[in-house]
Amino acid sequence: MLTRCIHAEKQKLRHTLILPACILIPIIPAVMGTFNYMQNLEILKSQWYSLWTQHTLFYASFFFAPLIGLYCSYIWRLEHRYNNWNKIMTAPVPVSDLFFGKLVWILLITLMTQLWTGILYLISGKLAGLPGIFPPEIVIWILRGTLGAVPICCLQLFLSMKIRSFSIPVGIGLIGSVLGVLFNNEGIGIFWPYSLMLLGMNSNGTKDTVLKDFFPFLISVTAFSVFFCLTAIWNLKHQDVKA
Amino acid sequence: MGPVIVTDSLTKKYKAKAVVDQIDLRIPGGSIYGFLGPNGAGKSTTLKMLLGLVKPTEGQIQILGKEINSKNRLAILSETGSLIEAPAYYGHLSGKENLQIICTLKNVPEKEIQRVLHIVRMEEQQTKKVSQYSLGMKQRLGLAAALLGNPRILLLDEPTNGLDPAGIQEMRELICSLPASFGITVLISSHLLSEIDQMATHVGIINQGQLIFQDSLNVLHEHSRGRLYLHTSDDQAAFRQLKNSGIPAQWRDGRLSLRLMEDSRIMRAVALLVNSGIGILRLEQQQMSLEDIFLQLTGKQVSL
Repeated sequence: MLTRCIHAEKQKLRHTLILPACILIPIIPAVMGTFNYMQNLEILKSQWYSLWTQHTLFYASFFFAPLIGLYCSYIWRLEHRYNNWNKIMTAPVPVSDLFFGKLVWILLITLMTQLWTGILYLISGKLAGLPGIFPPEIVIWILRGTLGAVPICCLQLFLSMKIRSFSIPVGIGLIGSVLGVLFNNEGIGIFWPYSLMLLGMNSNGTKDTVLKDFFPFLISVTAFSVFFCLTAIWNLKHQDVKA
Repeated sequence: MGPVIVTDSLTKKYKAKAVVDQIDLRIPGGSIYGFLGPNGAGKSTTLKMLLGLVKPTEGQIQILGKEINSKNRLAILSETGSLIEAPAYYGHLSGKENLQIICTLKNVPEKEIQRVLHIVRMEEQQTKKVSQYSLGMKQRLGLAAALLGNPRILLLDEPTNGLDPAGIQEMRELICSLPASFGITVLISSHLLSEIDQMATHVGIINQGQLIFQDSLNVLHEHSRGRLYLHTSDDQAAFRQLKNSGIPAQWRDGRLSLRLMEDSRIMRAVALLVNSGIGILRLEQQQMSLEDIFLQLTGKQVSL
């Protein structure tokens, strides 16, 4: 029944603006990051690594979580409007599958966003005149960042499910990721869901600071994701539906 | 056929206030059960509890012989179609695309779509975006969605709300045809007595959360004991005369009336008045309308 829910979500997302958002919004931090890099060439001397610090400074710290929040608000707005809560909650499918059907798409779009950011990074580097191609570990950072984004996806999907406003969950995402930067600076990022993506991406860092602590990272990612999903499903099962 | 929906002491409280109070519904299979009550009486909440959208505070629900619980939820929902509150739809998609989503969720083949669109006479508009539909078209699309998958039970919450007179008539004919054509039991809520009177075979009346009447429509009509109005040369004197002789006369709104009773007693009453020198001008028999019955049961004016 999960496959049916995934398919139904795909049908709902036809003719929507999620894909344009996924393509256009990451261009903004890429442009900002590249511009910053070009302005500070005298201190930023590590070429591709330096460019990475500037890209992730904007993308991961400020744009990423709100962007996920935007996807989640969008996917739930379809149900919040026009009484669709009544419809999905009377469909003969388990409520957990309704949630996971949406989560699958959010994760897929998040992966696309991350890969697109990688492509933008490459394009920016070439336009900035950097030699060759970026170091291969950047690919690992991108994928690891995507893994670190899973708890954010689960949390934002839960928030947008409960909060009917489109923008409040997006705002929470922004506050969450700014706090994430602060907690990372304090070295306690592993305990804050919004920090994990930054850690995974090695955001604003030139040396890989996370890899040696990969297992705690993985445990934190898993624990937060499971917790947010269970909370969401418990809510769906036990709360009265308000259409 | 026995009852397909049974509730026992079904109750929903918000804080301390019971919105639905100890309701025992018995909805016979193959019936059109009109669930009647003024706005805010608890109709929607009851329907939502039957669908599992709202969790009861107390009481049990059985649908098609199965108790509603997490184990039976999917089995019951797959036999049920519903249209609750306003129609539900995705505005950015066409009518057909909306129904495709329901087909996916209900695991029903897509060829069903044309069948239900034909029933609600919406084949022409299926490729148009639903956001451009009129309210009547959205309601009919909602009904089409509810009919997907041949449900055995249909729950309709005020399905004619906001429709124009032609739309209301169309919706009524459609609903009336469902039990005979498809063997569907229909539970339809309304605050309009006339609507229930035209469609239902059975009636439940809910007021302030309590079920104050439940039986077939015929029994409700039998409640409408009529009155006999008397116009005499001196109504007030006639009233006194009848009262003094122990005949239960009533004086209401400046008119004299008797409860309908056996012919011999009417003859006696008339003879009494004539013998006391009061001329009988007219005897007028009047049935109680359903509105009057409703008023009697609820003590509240219902909109018509």
